[in-house]
Amino acid sequence: MEVRELISKSPIRVFEDSLDGGLGKGNLGVLVSQRGLGKTACMVHLALDKILQDLNVVHVSFGANVEHIMNWYKEVFREITDFRSLEDAVDVYERIRTNRVMMNFSQENISVENIIKSLETLIRQGSFKADAIFFDGYKLTVAAEDDVKKLKAFAQEMNVEVWFSVSPVRPDVSFDDYGVPNSMEPYKPIIDVLVGLHYNDERSRVIMTVVKNGSQTLPRPAGVSLDPKTMLIVE
Amino acid sequence: MADLSKMRNIGISAHIDSGKTTLSERILFYCNRIHAIHEVHGKDGVGATMDSMELERERGITIASAATSVNWKGYDINVIDTPGHVDFTVEVERSLRVLDGAILVLCSVGGVQSQSITVDKQMDRYHVPRIAFINKCDRTGANPFHVVEQMKEKLKLNAVMMDLPIGLEDKLEGVVDLLSMKAVYFDGPNGQILREDEVPESMMDECLERRAMLIEAASDFDDKLMEMVLDGEEPPVDLIEKAVRKGTLELKFCPVFCGSAHKNKGVQVLLDGVCKYLPDPTEVENRALDLDDNEREVLLTADPERPVVALAFKLEDGQYGQLTYIRVYEGTLKKGDELVNTRTHRKFKVGRLIKMHASEMEDINQAGCGDIAALFGIDCASGDTFCGGKVNYAMTSMFVPNPVISLAIFPKDKKSQDNMSKAINRFTKEDPTFQCYVDPESNQTIIRGMGELHLDVYVERMRREYKCEVEVGKPEVAYRETITRKAEFNYTHKKQTGGSGQYARVAGFMEPIVALPGATEEPKDYDFINEIKGGVIPTEYIPSCDKGFRTAMKKGPQLGFPIVGVALTINDGAYHPVDSSDMAFQTAAIGAFKEAFAKASPAILEPIMKVEIEGPSEFQGAIFGTVNQRRGMIISSTEDNGNCVVDAEVPLAEMFGYSTVLRSMTQGKAEYTMEVCRYAKVPQSIADDLKKQAAEKEKKK
Repeated sequence: MEVRELISKSPIRVFEDSLDGGLGKGNLGVLVSQRGLGKTACMVHLALDKILQDLNVVHVSFGANVEHIMNWYKEVFREITDFRSLEDAVDVYERIRTNRVMMNFSQENISVENIIKSLETLIRQGSFKADAIFFDGYKLTVAAEDDVKKLKAFAQEMNVEVWFSVSPVRPDVSFDDYGVPNSMEPYKPIIDVLVGLHYNDERSRVIMTVVKNGSQTLPRPAGVSLDPKTMLIVE
Repeated sequence: MADLSKMRNIGISAHIDSGKTTLSERILFYCNRIHAIHEVHGKDGVGATMDSMELERERGITIASAATSVNWKGYDINVIDTPGHVDFTVEVERSLRVLDGAILVLCSVGGVQSQSITVDKQMDRYHVPRIAFINKCDRTGANPFHVVEQMKEKLKLNAVMMDLPIGLEDKLEGVVDLLSMKAVYFDGPNGQILREDEVPESMMDECLERRAMLIEAASDFDDKLMEMVLDGEEPPVDLIEKAVRKGTLELKFCPVFCGSAHKNKGVQVLLDGVCKYLPDPTEVENRALDLDDNEREVLLTADPERPVVALAFKLEDGQYGQLTYIRVYEGTLKKGDELVNTRTHRKFKVGRLIKMHASEMEDINQAGCGDIAALFGIDCASGDTFCGGKVNYAMTSMFVPNPVISLAIFPKDKKSQDNMSKAINRFTKEDPTFQCYVDPESNQTIIRGMGELHLDVYVERMRREYKCEVEVGKPEVAYRETITRKAEFNYTHKKQTGGSGQYARVAGFMEPIVALPGATEEPKDYDFINEIKGGVIPTEYIPSCDKGFRTAMKKGPQLGFPIVGVALTINDGAYHPVDSSDMAFQTAAIGAFKEAFAKASPAILEPIMKVEIEGPSEFQGAIFGTVNQRRGMIISSTEDNGNCVVDAEVPLAEMFGYSTVLRSMTQGKAEYTMEVCRYAKVPQSIADDLKKQAAEKEKKK
């Protein structure tokens, strides 16, 4: 199988269809759930899908070991290419390495302004024309609304697609049927796409639901779920 | 005879500028080997005692490891100071080979840096038990607890704090020993007077908590301790120490000490730790190869009565002639003994035997098992094994990385030419990663090494130590050639006109050897697969094919660099009962290789360096820019406390002169280290340029 085919047959196309064509540049998207449901793997899968399309991706992590995230990319790449038995997987991997940069911050010690500044520096002075930015483990539910607005403005100015993976920080939150905690409420008006992940006992799977998509606020199934073994997105 | 249980051979390894040399200096001082403390950067014009070379003092780095022996509370400790810069890692590797244990020095601000990871990997390779010292706790931004977390995360070490600092940054006063639960203060102008006191009230809770963590971690290594912990009893200190020692020796536990060598805090406690937790020579397994028994591996016992087995691990050529540092593994080496160098089979007599203390020396009459000593005037290379009696052993070979950069050097006059060969002769003996050859085509002297700085230092040493003025050419990268697709060959070598004839036919295919992403093992450079059936090539000529292919791999047709990553399979062929020979099959294999190589989409590979650049966050943009201009790829960028660390991969060919550029762009506030990480394909446009240059060079000849 060739890369083009791998992309067109990816379950992420189904996911994008449920978002009427995807998140789109200049917009903020959020994947939210309880801890330990596999958001990082899911996010890396979304990022790799972009990278394989020769789009540039910045993966922003907070306090996690960068090596650890890189291993995620290796693993997920192996998983999706083995599964679809991609031709020249080694060459492809070698080629797409340049499409990804990791940035790591400690969220306690750094302001949103500084994160934005670093990203801008990378895009402008590092000549890394980012198409999408993935914020992994950003503590959105305790961020100031103003900070999220700044990130949105940045996404629009730089014309990038921005995804967050979010788990609630405080233990006293309650989750709705789609896995969205009530602490997400204040941010809903600012974000463009909200996807909730929750574990479905009957189907033994993590189900993804599009809770918000632009002006559409009626939850509807994303048409995809997470494979319980690999944590990757499957139809 | 010395009590072996009271002997320690230790090394001090770390990232550049973590303060290894300062720490060594303090150790010498507290063990009464030196009478005054000098700083590394030489404010008093003397420089630290371990950095004995003039050049080292000037650059503030430690180039060659000096061995020195000290005595601490009745323990004989041989300390090897190792260089911190990655360009000199062969020195680190060699030191590790002869050590029984090591102190891993980490900076409490910088934490686990890329080179700490390299050094830690090296320690794993040689199974060296280690204890850690988190230095520079007096510096602004010091956070030893964060460093311990990093050690767990990045180095996967079971790091456990043995003492806690009392105060941090400019308020660092001393440490609390978590086993005795006593505060230790370091009084006197040089911190040599230890004063024990009660644990400060404000720290009590934290100390108790950390102590409980320590005991819990140690209890994994001692059943009795485990029982006592489960029963809620207070275990005796010696039982905890025993468990910690056991875990450390098994490389499953890493005791962590903290302090500041520069401010004279915590060093003595660390020295106690060395004696308590690092192994003595009898507790480490050392193996040798028996050359008389088909290189069978033999276990060396630290028996003083057995014949001598010693390893020459470092050579130095000083004013008194050649000095050879050795470690004795078995037997007792005495003055006047006759030994054999098992590599050259030459016999020699042990003349002067000395113990080194940095640049001063002490004459001794004998060296026992585990001892590190030095011999005078022995002609040998580093890595040679010396044996006494009838044994004929070779210590297992050391891992020596291949050089990645080369430089042509030209002596300015006749006198310099003589001195240059003397200097090169000595340097190549001292350092296996420093290599030299004369290019038969251009007749130029080429030196090869592990990086620009590595070669720079040797050129500088030629000037200073040998008064040898040389001009240097442009550094050249050690490229490799490879193939990217499968190609078949079917080649007949035939010469049957007059005289004895030659005939051989070799057929099969070549294909690239590729590493899958995430593979842990390095892919092979060459593979030979024999699928000949029915004797179409007689068995005795199969090795000839292999040999022919290997010959062809040595020099690629594109740039003349070695070929790597090729698997060759032979599956057909033909021979002639009279005219076939070893030579004929070798020639046929070479011809077959050339035929297939051209069809196999050849490519050029270049060394890619893993570069870690560290500096204040305000220069992040400048750093990104420099990486970007050099065909580099930013892998990651980590920001914390106004500091940023950028990890990037940059082709070596683009890194020449980088230190100057970086320094001027960041007002000297950023620094970088680099090491070879892999070979990767050169972009087509650059490959074309390289080929053009190679062709022009060829034309000029």
